[in-house]
Amino acid sequence: MRAEGSGWQAAGGARRDWTGWLFVAFFTLPFLLFNLAPLLFGVVLAFTEWGIIGDPVWVGTANFEQALADPWVANAFWNTFLYACTIVPGVVVFGLAFALFVHQRWPLSTLARTLFFTPNVVSATVIGLVWVWLLDTQFGLVNRYLAWLGIKPIPWLTSGDWSLIGVSIASIWWDLGLAFVLFLAALQDEPQELHEAAAIDGAGRIRRFVHVTLPHLRPTISMVVTLQIIASMRIFSQVYVMTNGAPHGSSQSVIHYIYQTAIVQYRLGYASAVSVLLFLAILAVTVLQRLLLRERAGG
Amino acid sequence: MAEVGAAPARRLGLPDLPIWLLGTVLALLWGAPFLWMVSTSLKPADQVMTPVIEWIPREITFENYAKVFRYPVLTWALNSVIQAVVATGLCVLFGAMAGYALARLPFPGRRALFALFLAVLMIPSEIAVVPLLLAFIKAGLASTYAALILPQIGNVLAVYIFRQHYLTFPKELEEAALVDGAGRFKIFFTIALPLARAPLIATTVILFTLNWNNFLWPLLVTFDESMKTMPVGMAAFAPVVGTHTQLEGYAVAMAAVTILCIPSIALFLLTQRHFIQGIALGGVKG
Repeated sequence: MRAEGSGWQAAGGARRDWTGWLFVAFFTLPFLLFNLAPLLFGVVLAFTEWGIIGDPVWVGTANFEQALADPWVANAFWNTFLYACTIVPGVVVFGLAFALFVHQRWPLSTLARTLFFTPNVVSATVIGLVWVWLLDTQFGLVNRYLAWLGIKPIPWLTSGDWSLIGVSIASIWWDLGLAFVLFLAALQDEPQELHEAAAIDGAGRIRRFVHVTLPHLRPTISMVVTLQIIASMRIFSQVYVMTNGAPHGSSQSVIHYIYQTAIVQYRLGYASAVSVLLFLAILAVTVLQRLLLRERAGG
Repeated sequence: MAEVGAAPARRLGLPDLPIWLLGTVLALLWGAPFLWMVSTSLKPADQVMTPVIEWIPREITFENYAKVFRYPVLTWALNSVIQAVVATGLCVLFGAMAGYALARLPFPGRRALFALFLAVLMIPSEIAVVPLLLAFIKAGLASTYAALILPQIGNVLAVYIFRQHYLTFPKELEEAALVDGAGRFKIFFTIALPLARAPLIATTVILFTLNWNNFLWPLLVTFDESMKTMPVGMAAFAPVVGTHTQLEGYAVAMAAVTILCIPSIALFLLTQRHFIQGIALGGVKG
């Protein structure tokens, strides 16, 4: 961060100016109370057993010990990992392909831009219900078109083998817009001279993509991957609407399990402990990403 | 930065025709679920599951929409509007002030405060949802507008976008007023804020969409049917959540979600340029 406005201070004298605090106070107050404090309170809560009624009971690390031994926690973390493994590549590959297409500025590219982005602005309830209908085993559009190819009806949301994939398809449709726009903005910033020089040297479209465009996009790709991994680790709403974690928890994500223990079983201390574990997982992914990036930049 | 993805159309050469065709078909396919949603919502109950796929309804009926309104949709809509308008308004105003101060006013602890904002921006809000819920229940504020609105005001995204804007805002515009003896607040409200049209629109539409679509928190904190927001209320049309679809069928569910997505899609189409610009700048969703 550059020290913008340091020249200003001179105009007002060398005294310390607290006006800035007055400006930030309006935002900082609700931020501290409702965004930062709950994070800290959650860590305390994780060491207690606290229901909706009654007082907290300090239980030490019992919640964490139980969570680490809980097969449903393991299941939810594994599923969340699988969600990331399907959604992240889907969003990155399709998002990049669509951005490259729209970037050509061929006729109708503005319409294509709108269509690729629109699912991103609607609520999870819309995404979920539209895809529950599209993926209906008997009458869903997807299975009926697959039948044209001779594929038997797939129980997308009702079988343990498919439910996670069904939810992932809807999630890719929903999440793609953000990656698409970030790639599009990065493509636009690409220096044209390099492209033209490569074209004059006789490099074909694919070689220009690999040697000019891809290196330019590298920071954007790693940013999109990081954002999308974190987005996939917090997956909840579409799971809730489409399968509610069923069948037998085969599509249950970590946040869905937290929701279930907190709201259905009213075990708020335990749910907080699982939240802390998820936070640590997200932190680990973020740190790992940073280290990998630094290594690559250094080497 | 020029507008993202909109520039004068380029001529389409013959060798590019197959790729253009493939891309355009994919784009139409990407929008097709919305078409199918609207199409289903306009069909009479007995024409929803037909042996042949019918993209265009044989006959158009609005009975599915009428059935949706048997549920307290208007109450949910009112709650959604109040919640999204108030939370967005306060967040944009306070966020603009904070972003301005962080970019322009040297004050002790400025760097530390911004670092704190950025750190919390990296942590998904879902992590803190359980302690937040307990706090609101213990304070007797569950199922109130305060519960729906208060946690949405401190969204760092607003601060981030406005700070970026004011870092490059020409100082000369303010200096004249400063020499005339105008106070900081007067300068902010009469010069800096009115001239921040682009970030104002971008932040407002993005935050409004986020608040309108917000799901997990309203689901947790609203116990009464009469305090639910639209996305949470209408989730009961999902077969696994409520019983509405078993009772009414997919056509009514599609009518419900059509009503639900109209405001966000309309807002997006009207402000597309600013919306996409803001997303590209903020790089943050939900």
